[in-house]
Amino acid sequence: MKPGTKLKSQVCDTEVMVIRCGTGRIECGGAAMAEDKPAEPGTPAEGLAGGALMGKRYVDAAGAFELLCVKPGKGSLAVDGVILSIKDAKPLPASD
Amino acid sequence: MPLTGWADRQLGELADLMARKTPLPNTGAELLGLRAKLNGFRVPGQVSAGGGCRLLPVSDGWIALNLARPDDRAMLPALVGDAGLAVYDDAALRQAVRGMGWRALLAQGRLLGLAIAGVDETPASAAVTRTMTGARRDGARPFRDRAPVVVDLSALWAGPLAGHLLGLGGAQVSKVESPVRPDSLRTGDPALFAALNGAKEQTAIALTRAEGRAALLELVRHADVVIEAARPRALLQLGIDADALVRTVPGLVWVTITGHGVTGEAGHWVGFGDDAGVAGGLSAALYRETGRIGFVGDAIADPLTGITAAREAAQQLAKGTGARIILSMSGVVARALAESRAADPAGLAADLRDWAAREGTPIVPIARSINPQSGQPAPRRAPGVPVPAVR
Repeated sequence: MKPGTKLKSQVCDTEVMVIRCGTGRIECGGAAMAEDKPAEPGTPAEGLAGGALMGKRYVDAAGAFELLCVKPGKGSLAVDGVILSIKDAKPLPASD
Repeated sequence: MPLTGWADRQLGELADLMARKTPLPNTGAELLGLRAKLNGFRVPGQVSAGGGCRLLPVSDGWIALNLARPDDRAMLPALVGDAGLAVYDDAALRQAVRGMGWRALLAQGRLLGLAIAGVDETPASAAVTRTMTGARRDGARPFRDRAPVVVDLSALWAGPLAGHLLGLGGAQVSKVESPVRPDSLRTGDPALFAALNGAKEQTAIALTRAEGRAALLELVRHADVVIEAARPRALLQLGIDADALVRTVPGLVWVTITGHGVTGEAGHWVGFGDDAGVAGGLSAALYRETGRIGFVGDAIADPLTGITAAREAAQQLAKGTGARIILSMSGVVARALAESRAADPAGLAADLRDWAAREGTPIVPIARSINPQSGQPAPRRAPGVPVPAVR
C-alpha cells in the first residue's frame, strides 16, 4: 500500500491515511479497510469497537505500520487482528 | 521590514486601550525583528530565517513547507505518495513535488498535519472572528481601575507575546505550562522565551491529573483574559469548554490563536509563523513587486498575531462584555498586508523592494559600540553567551 493512500472503514465512519505500511491487512472493527466506502456499512465486531480518534496516529508494536485518523469512528484499528496503539502527540517545534 | 508601520499603529491603539500614559516600550520593528535580533538571523530567500520552512517550486506555482517539528519528515512519503523517498534529502523532496500541483499538495499536507501553504492561496478565515459573546462584568474597570488577570496557556511566540503586551499595560499575567509538555521555546530559544515570558508569573500544572485540571479551571474562572493556542479537541479532552466558560463567567475574554481559523476543514490545519506569512499573501506580494520568491520577515505571522491578539483583548476588556475571540495567523497577515497597501501603497512597495535587496544581510543590523581607547568597534558577543532579555 502506497503511503498517502486514504482508507475507509467498512463498518463505521473511520477514515485513515497510510503514513507507513508493512505487510499485513489493515482493519477497522474487524473488517479490512478499503479505498471505497461499502454500499451497505456493517457493524464493528465484538470487542473491536474501541473507536478511532481524529488526528491521532496509530502504530503497531513493530513500528511497521502507522495510520493517521482523518475521520473518527467507532471501530478499533488493527493489522491482522492485532489492535494498534495511539502514538504520542507530535512535539511542537523548538522555535518556529 | 515590511508591515512594521502597521504594527506601530496597532501598538499605539493598544497603549490607548490599556490606558497607558506613555507609548509601549517597543516599536513594531523591534517586535517583528525580536527573534532575528536575538539570533542574528539574516534576510531570507527561499529558506526561512529560522531554517525550518522552505519555498518549493511545483507544477503550477510555489508551496511553503515547514518541517520544524522533529517528526514532520516522517510524513513526507505520505505527502508525495512514495515509500522510497529519502526524507532527509531536500533535493529529493524538491524533485518529488516538482510535478505536483499546489492545491493537491496543500490538501494532502494539511490532512497529514503538516504546516504547508501556497503562495497563491487565499486565507481560509478572517483575521479576527468573535464566535460568541458573554455577559458584562460590572465593577472596577480593567486597566483603568484595576489590574486585569491574564492566564496565558499558549506557547511559542504569538500567544506569549500577546500576554507580554497586556502585562506592559499593567495586567497580572500567569503563564501556565504542563510539566510534561512545557513551552518548547524554553529550551529551543531561551533568550526569546525570557523576552516574552520573563515578566510573567510562571506555574506548572499537571493537566493529566484531575486535581490539576480542577486547579486550571479555578484559575480560568477568576481570569479576565485567557490566551491559548491549543487544538479545540485538546482543550475539550482536558474538560475545558471555552464556550461554556465564556457563557458562565461574566466578562471573560477568551483568546484562541490558530493557524487558519476554526471554521470547517481549516480548523484542523496547522500553521506556524513562516508558512502562515506565505498563506497570508506576503510572498505573492514580494514576487509581484520584485520578481523574487522569498519569505518576508522572520516567522512574521507570529508577532503580527501576538500584537493583534493583545489589541483585540484590550478592546474587548474596555467594552466590558465577555467574548470568544478567534485569531487566524494567515488572516492577520492578509489583513496587515491589505491595510498597509490601502494606507500607503508606494510605501509598502518600497519596503518590499528594500527587503528583497537586503537578502543575506542581518535582519536587524548589529549596532556595535566603539572602544574609546582604540577607536575600533567592540568585539561581537561570543556565541553561546546568553543574550539579556529585552523588554
